[in-house]
Amino acid sequence: MRRRELLTTLAAGAGALAAAPGGRRANPTPLADCGCSLQIRSAKDKPPGEAAFRDVTSKLRITNMRVFGVTLDERIAQADRPYVFVKIETNEGVTGWGEATLEGKASAAMACVMDLKDLIIGCDPMQVEHLYQVMYIGSFYRGGPVLGSAISGIDQALWDIRGKVMNMPVYELLGGPVDPRGVRGYYHADVWTLEAARELRDKTKAAGVTALKFQLPDLLECVETNAKIKRAVGHMEMLREGLGPDIDFAVDFHARPTPSVASIILREIEPLHLMFAEEICPPENVRAMARAVRHSTTPIATGERLIASYGYAELIDMGVVDVLQPDIAHVGGVTALWKVSATAEASGIRMAPHACEGPIGGIASLHVDAAGPNFLAQEICGFVQADQKNRVWEDLLGFPAMRMVDGRYPLPTRPGLGVDISETALKKYPFQGTRPFVMAFHEDGAVASL
Amino acid sequence: MVEQFPRPMAEIRTARRKLPAIDSAAFAPPPAGDHPLKIVEFRAWRVKEPASNRRYTVVRLRAQGGIAGYGEGGPAVASEIAAARTVTMNRRATESEFIRAALRRTPALEAAVNNAMLDVVSRAKDMPIYRYLGGPVRFKARLLGHLEGATPADSAPSLERAKRQGMAAFTTAAPLRDSMIPLQSYIDVVAKHYADMQALAGPAGEWVLDGAGAMTPGDAASVANALEHAHPIWFDEPTGVATPDALAKIVEESVMPIGLGRNITDIVEFQRLLASGSVNIVRPDLGLNSLAKIRRIAALAETHYVGIAPFHNGGPIGTMAGLHLNASLIQAYAQQVPVPASDRDAAMRAEITSGLKEKGEDGFFALINRPGLGFEVNEKALDAASEERI
Repeated sequence: MRRRELLTTLAAGAGALAAAPGGRRANPTPLADCGCSLQIRSAKDKPPGEAAFRDVTSKLRITNMRVFGVTLDERIAQADRPYVFVKIETNEGVTGWGEATLEGKASAAMACVMDLKDLIIGCDPMQVEHLYQVMYIGSFYRGGPVLGSAISGIDQALWDIRGKVMNMPVYELLGGPVDPRGVRGYYHADVWTLEAARELRDKTKAAGVTALKFQLPDLLECVETNAKIKRAVGHMEMLREGLGPDIDFAVDFHARPTPSVASIILREIEPLHLMFAEEICPPENVRAMARAVRHSTTPIATGERLIASYGYAELIDMGVVDVLQPDIAHVGGVTALWKVSATAEASGIRMAPHACEGPIGGIASLHVDAAGPNFLAQEICGFVQADQKNRVWEDLLGFPAMRMVDGRYPLPTRPGLGVDISETALKKYPFQGTRPFVMAFHEDGAVASL
Repeated sequence: MVEQFPRPMAEIRTARRKLPAIDSAAFAPPPAGDHPLKIVEFRAWRVKEPASNRRYTVVRLRAQGGIAGYGEGGPAVASEIAAARTVTMNRRATESEFIRAALRRTPALEAAVNNAMLDVVSRAKDMPIYRYLGGPVRFKARLLGHLEGATPADSAPSLERAKRQGMAAFTTAAPLRDSMIPLQSYIDVVAKHYADMQALAGPAGEWVLDGAGAMTPGDAASVANALEHAHPIWFDEPTGVATPDALAKIVEESVMPIGLGRNITDIVEFQRLLASGSVNIVRPDLGLNSLAKIRRIAALAETHYVGIAPFHNGGPIGTMAGLHLNASLIQAYAQQVPVPASDRDAAMRAEITSGLKEKGEDGFFALINRPGLGFEVNEKALDAASEERI
């Protein structure tokens, strides 16, 4: 049985689901029901289905959706994150691109995108909020990074179409730009000596870049020795001395410490005035994180692993964080990133969206950044000096994507997201399967948080 | 010792250094240049309905490309309107965030100007506002009839009109308490009023009990407790004392859903209510908050699984804007619609919208698939109804 036929038959089995999204009539033949499917007493109360929107939607319809896996040579990009690109096509020839890259789970994300295909084919792509809800609530099992990434890719592509149809950049659709000069960004960096830090300072200033991000020097266990604490603090003190007072820098703890260890380090590094300390401990337990931050004034950032605006509510309500870092390729696309930003604004929390995948997600993030009064800085996996990966991105997009000018990413000016991926160029980087996320182990062989 | 929340959280908030306040007014988007959506004309009407004296402000913006859009806000004085014009002229109609920040101290005009900009942009893009906002998430929007009159007898004409207009859910104002009335007697009065209104509407009617912020927290808690088995859709604005302790007294006393927010213009206040679990349905006033702003409030509420039903006691342009908003928000429950008792007021409202009535069928308004607000505003009717044109 073909996939579409199977889904149509299953929909009919649900009885009350008179029409699948997209207005397609389901086969009325009833199938077995274990009691889990929608049970409604009277025909009058049955949900109307997508056909009910027929008179209030645009004439535009989604006709096809394709997903592309893109593997770069592991010498120029991390092997655990082949890009997952989504392309949506419409009956009027307008197409949209989005990114659903999920580190270590590329095949799962690609499969999930295709799982959602039947929910959106035939629908009006302008109904982006409705389709977000169809995919998020309609999936029953809410959230999770696989579903979140799949929705993200599709949602970005829908916003791309919306912008193209309306001949406006997405940030204008969102009420921006708040700052027409562009979007402040930061690059990654790693230096281990004072001399190298001073050299980096000069290169950074020459490039007009104003902020950088580093990592801790060690893996950390549940309690730590004086030596490791001192090494972590000493590393950051060296960075401040080498970079000087004019360059902002953040440190990504990468959820390596426990709250207990994090609280000690945070207390020690207060005088360094970091831009923020990121993922100071694992993200699942907000109250544990709260205990870690209460004795420090260093701004706390987290959020790259959370999905949908619901994932951030407790962090915001409990006043635990100063900066939120949703990733537009996981959180649920433009729709969800904007909602998180709006929610955070009310609590005086700033946004520094995570972006460590491909170029479409990075550019999509810029649009939401540009419409948020509470925006702080945009991440991208890249260094002050452009490398081979940047050349691949230029090959794919036709311009040097996600490179700052005078410390800011210029705002896209073309309608939609402002990206058009060359499918010819994509063929140069065929998908070569999922690679697992890089793992780390403590010296006793126990799995470490990396 | 086991840590107790929320006390330690409060300590965290006060102990930790705060980042600088976020002020989007610090940034001004660049001048619109020759962009077709540049606002080149600003006109306003201060409208008053002849019988009810209900007042509101209507703003018309015209973009350089010739497209005009209309927005409605609450009552405003001439000097505020003049200041809003200065801020708005020569901006692009897409710059809703700039306007939200720049007009934050005059919320009625923030609503009117930002909604007019939204109408301009949606018309320019040849699509209904709800589609510009990412909807529709539903194909029809529930109406909540806001009845006039303090007693069942006074409310009867308004209720009959609401029923003729296809509404099935209504608000009724709870009687006020005279200081000489004992508490139990007052509770009995409110319960009888509610039962009388139910009887008047018949079994198909559903009701919101409107406290209008007039009760003490203690009285409101007692009323909520007494009426919870009557199952109002919610108890709206039970008290004007919106402190966490006062509201906790109400929400901890009963399972009655609580609606709050008609007087709130600061998003942070909504955040506080939501975070403290004091509200079950948020009610920002369409006359004091633009659609752009209410969408931000809705984003907050969504994460708390809290519904939204914008308060509205303004004109028909505001109603229609609220219906577009409803069609774009997943957790929108209903749009409140003022239902005049007077035929003169009702006729005036219909004239302003060129005959499009604030009516539905079986309790719902069918969405209109036309650009912008979906109707042409009758400026002659506005001229006739206005106290002042600016």
